[in-house]
Amino acid sequence: MIRFWQRRFKEGIKTELSELDAELEAIKKELKGTIKEKFASSLAIRMVDSGSCNACEAECNALSNPYYDLERLGIRFVASPRHADILLVSGVVTFNMLPHLIDAYRQLPEPKWVVTIGDCTTLCGDIEKTCLIKGPVNQQIPVAHHIPGCPPDPKTIMEDLLTFLRSI
Amino acid sequence: MRLIARFAKNQNEVIDVWDERVERHSLDPTTPTIHSIAKKHPSAVWFERKMHDEFGIEIDGAFDNRPLLRHEHFPHIHPMIQECKELTPAPFHPYPYERIKGEGVFEVGVGPIHAGIIEPGHFHFSQEGEAILHLEVRHFYKYRGIERMCEGKSIEEALRIVEKISGNESIAYQIAFLRPFIEDEEIRKYHAILLELERLIHHLTDLGFIPNDAGFGAALAFCSIKAEECRRMMANITGHRFGFGGVRAEAKPIDKKGLENFLNTLQSDLIWFQEWITDIPSLWDRLDGTGVLQKQEALRYGCVGIVARASGIAIDRRMSDPLYKNFTPPTQQRGDVAARFLQRLDECFASIDLIRSFLDYRPTKSELDVSDGEYFSFSESSIGELFLYTYVENGKIVRFFARDPSFVNWQALHLMMPGNIIADFPLINKSCDLSYAGSDL
Repeated sequence: MIRFWQRRFKEGIKTELSELDAELEAIKKELKGTIKEKFASSLAIRMVDSGSCNACEAECNALSNPYYDLERLGIRFVASPRHADILLVSGVVTFNMLPHLIDAYRQLPEPKWVVTIGDCTTLCGDIEKTCLIKGPVNQQIPVAHHIPGCPPDPKTIMEDLLTFLRSI
Repeated sequence: MRLIARFAKNQNEVIDVWDERVERHSLDPTTPTIHSIAKKHPSAVWFERKMHDEFGIEIDGAFDNRPLLRHEHFPHIHPMIQECKELTPAPFHPYPYERIKGEGVFEVGVGPIHAGIIEPGHFHFSQEGEAILHLEVRHFYKYRGIERMCEGKSIEEALRIVEKISGNESIAYQIAFLRPFIEDEEIRKYHAILLELERLIHHLTDLGFIPNDAGFGAALAFCSIKAEECRRMMANITGHRFGFGGVRAEAKPIDKKGLENFLNTLQSDLIWFQEWITDIPSLWDRLDGTGVLQKQEALRYGCVGIVARASGIAIDRRMSDPLYKNFTPPTQQRGDVAARFLQRLDECFASIDLIRSFLDYRPTKSELDVSDGEYFSFSESSIGELFLYTYVENGKIVRFFARDPSFVNWQALHLMMPGNIIADFPLINKSCDLSYAGSDL
C-alpha cells in the first residue's frame, strides 16, 4: 500500500485524461445545463437489450469511460426500470424478449419516455425481419425518440440525447 | 475427442464435428431420431435440445428433454423447417428449472433483464444461505433466427448479417465466414491484424470490468481509456469502431508507423498497469480461488478459449494456422477468476507482438473465390474457438450454422459455482465474459 501511494504521488493521476475535444466539451456543457433545467440535475436511464448484437451496449458502456464520462453530467444508468425516467431500448425485439420488454416498460413510473438506439430497433439495418422478430420497437411500445446508427458512436449518442432532451 | 459441434444439416442428416474428424448420421425421414451422446459429452445437451426445437428431431436416450429456444409462450412449431409469417404467442407453459430440493434450500432467479448495461439471459440459482449449490443458465432470449436469415443469400449478402451476430467478435465472424474463399497470405495477414486488435479491445474492457465487479473502479477507468483508444484505432483502420465491413477480400494500406507507435505506448501502459494491479492485496483477495474450473472438467465439457486456457488447456485455433508460425498461446493453471484475469493480460501482450509481426504485409486486392460446396471454417475470437458451417449450392447458402465459443462455455459455467457465494457470481461471470448474442443467434 505504501508503494502504491509513493507511486501515486510520483506518477500523478493515470485515470484522468488531459486531452480535450472542444466539440465534445460543448456538448457536455449543453447536456449538463439541459438536465439541470429539466430533470433537476438527475436523469436516470434504464437500458434494455431486446435482441441486439451487443455493439450498442458496448457503446453505452463506453459513455462511462473518462473520454465521455456521462455520469459527471447527471446521467446515470440505473439498475431498475422503477428508478428510471427513460427506457433506452436496443435490438430487434425477439419473440422471446417481447413479454419482458413490455414488463420493463410498465414498471417505469410516469412521466416516462422510450428512446430507441441503433438501426435494429427500426429494422432498417441488415438484420431482417423473421417470424422470430417482433420489431420494430414502435409497434410494441410508444417510442419518443430514435438514435440512428449501427451502432451510433458515443458522441452521436450524446448529441442525439441532447436534441431529444431539448424537445421535451 | 473433443466435441466441437453437433447440428442438423436438415431434417434427414445430423453432422457431428469433432476435433479430429467429421461424422455424419442419416436419419429416417418419417420419424427423424438420433441417439444422444450427452452422457459422455455433456456439452452435447444444448446442441441436441436446439436440434429438437428447431428441426423436430427426436433425441433418443436424452436425460434432458426440456425446450431450449422455445420459451414459455412459444407456439408448437419448429422454426427451421416450418414456414411462418408471424408467431402468435401460445398460452403460458412453465419451464421446469433444475432444482435442488432439501430443507432450507431456496431459489434465486436473476434476469433476463439485468442490473446494468448487459445482454438478457436468465440465471437460476439454488441457494443454501449465501452459498451457491447449483446454477442453471437459461438463455436464448435473443434468439433472432440468424441461421435461417442467411439461407438463400449469396456469401456477400450473408456477410452483412454474419458480421452483426456478435458485436464483440465481429472481425472473428467475418474472418471465419470468408476463410474458405480467401487464400492470399497478404490479405490474411491484414485480417489477422484486425483480429488481434479486436482481441485487445475485448480483453482491455474485461481487464477493467473484472476488478470493477470486485469494487475496484480505478482499474475500469484506466482500462476503458485504453479500450477506447484501441476502438478508435479500429475505426481509423476499418472505418468502423467495431470493424463492421472491415474484413473483405482486400488488404488496405494503413499508417504502419502510427500503429507501431500506438502499440509501443499501449505496451508500456500495460506494463505499468500490470505492476500496479498485482500490488493491490484487497483486490486479489476477491479474485484468488474464486470460481475455479478444474482442468478435467474443462476437458470433459470441451471448453474453449480463455476459459480453457486459464485452466491449463492450450487450445487455440491460431496454433494450427501456418500464418501464425508456431504460435503458442500463454496459459494459466489454476482456473480461477485470478487466472482468467492474468490470462487476458498475457494475451494482450501476445496480441501486441502478433500485430507487430504481421505489419510487413503488402496492400493488395482480390476477389472472393466462391464455389459450391460444404465448408467447415474456424477462427479464434476473443472468447475462443469459433466454428462456422456454410453449405453453398448454386452460389446461394442452403444451410448456415454457427457455433459461438460461448455456446460451449456457457454450459460449463455452473461448474465454477459450488463453494462460492452468490455475491461472487457477477465476478465469475464477467471473468469468462461470454457472448449472449453469439450463443442465442
